Amino acid sequence: MFREVKKHIRLIGRYFMFNLSALVEYRSSFLIQVFGMALNNAAFVFFWWALFDKIGMDIAGYGFSDVMFLWAVTSTAYGVANIFFCNARRISQLVMTGELDTYLLQPKNPLINAISARMSASAWGDFGYGIVLLAIMGVSAKTWGIFALASITGALLMTAIIVTGHSLTLYFGNMEAVGNMMWEFSITFSIYPEGIFKGAVKTLIMTVVPIGFISQVPMRLVQSFRWGTLALLLGVTLAYCVFAFFLFMRGLKRYESGNLIVTRM
Amino acid sequence: MKIQKYFSLIRINIKNALVYRANVTGRVIFYFVFIFIFFSLWGMIYSGGEIAGYSLSQMIWYLCITELITFTSGNSVFGRMNEEVKSGSIAYQLLRPWNYVFKQFSEALGEMSFCAAVFTAMAVVLGLIFAGPLQGFPAAAVPLMLLSMLLSVTMNFFLMMSLGLTAFFMEENSSFYLIYQKLLFIFGLFLPIEFLPQWAQNILRYLPFSLITWGPAKMIVDFSWHHAALVLPAQALWAAAAVLLAMFIFSRGVKKVNVQGG
Repeated sequence: MFREVKKHIRLIGRYFMFNLSALVEYRSSFLIQVFGMALNNAAFVFFWWALFDKIGMDIAGYGFSDVMFLWAVTSTAYGVANIFFCNARRISQLVMTGELDTYLLQPKNPLINAISARMSASAWGDFGYGIVLLAIMGVSAKTWGIFALASITGALLMTAIIVTGHSLTLYFGNMEAVGNMMWEFSITFSIYPEGIFKGAVKTLIMTVVPIGFISQVPMRLVQSFRWGTLALLLGVTLAYCVFAFFLFMRGLKRYESGNLIVTRM
Repeated sequence: MKIQKYFSLIRINIKNALVYRANVTGRVIFYFVFIFIFFSLWGMIYSGGEIAGYSLSQMIWYLCITELITFTSGNSVFGRMNEEVKSGSIAYQLLRPWNYVFKQFSEALGEMSFCAAVFTAMAVVLGLIFAGPLQGFPAAAVPLMLLSMLLSVTMNFFLMMSLGLTAFFMEENSSFYLIYQKLLFIFGLFLPIEFLPQWAQNILRYLPFSLITWGPAKMIVDFSWHHAALVLPAQALWAAAAVLLAMFIFSRGVKKVNVQGG
């Protein structure tokens, strides 16, 4: 078991090096995408600054710097997820076109192999943006520590959420739209203060689709650190990743190859 | 006769949109989610009274209108222009007996008419559910509001088309689109410009980014003849400028097209 995990971590590392060298080959395009994405995210700082400046009070217990923490974690977690597991967004497409065959033939776990095979260039902009934003805010060492942890747990959760959504394609036919929607919502709901969501929506994002654990639960740790909250964050992340993994693997038994001949670029 | 072909394109694209009406489902869900999130956010911020001259009800309606405009005018034109120029498929369009720029607009008008109907219904229903009826809504001014929205959609379309057509001159132009999109976001889509410092308001009132969203949305939620007299001529000028800009970029860019058969 431990050896298998180690082998797959090595595989992710190899894919990372290979994809990065491919991106760097087109340097100017890579840099434009990175800075374009960072600039894109920066526009929202302006929105929150103008809003807090006008209302002159906290929103649901969050000040400007707290909202910026949400943005930093979501952005960097999104970056990490798309640097290492960008292909998770294409699972439905891989299933529908039969491209998944390629990964089934190789001596590695098909899910890990498939989702690690691509890297997004603009994700580096998201990754860097969160770090720069936090550096500008001048936060404490404790906050940096929570940020680093949340960037990893957030990336794993985002990936697990999108794998869950797209794995439904293996059970019910083309569910690409559902997978993409879960992906978009995992970002949209992570960048607003936890307190604005109530009732069924709050229950949903804290249980069935644990979007609240991407940035809002880490924010609780920044505001008031508790070991129990930390354990809950780690436990939910692990449990949801395991759930997504088994959902995909179980669904894989229903997969039928389309005998499509494709070239893997 | 000459203009009839463009009406035919509009008609065909309306029929097309009706046949593939399921394509709009995802955007309908997103529209609902955006309005819901901002309703939750503003509901938490307001504790009675007004902020920057807007009541809670006006703010929710404001968002319903600005989102209606952006969801109606869509963003596919940038990607389509980019794709047609970069793939070279634009060459096939050049052989046909129409003005390429107006052909694109006619096609988009067909799709936009369908989206306008869907998202107007969404805006009215969600506005009524989340904010209730808009107090003091002047029904007599509806034609001016519709004109303002039409000018908004036109400006947005031709500006995005101009950005897409820059693909004639550069390989990587997506950052232009991202920047344009964010200028719309921060200068009127999510927040009325009254939230910004006075000096910024004085400039933004005349810039296309805020005239696309803030202009018509403010006219609907807080109508005044003064605002209409300020916004409509500015929108008309920018719409004309955007059309001319798209035609200029196209006429310069098309000279760079190399058709190599095939």
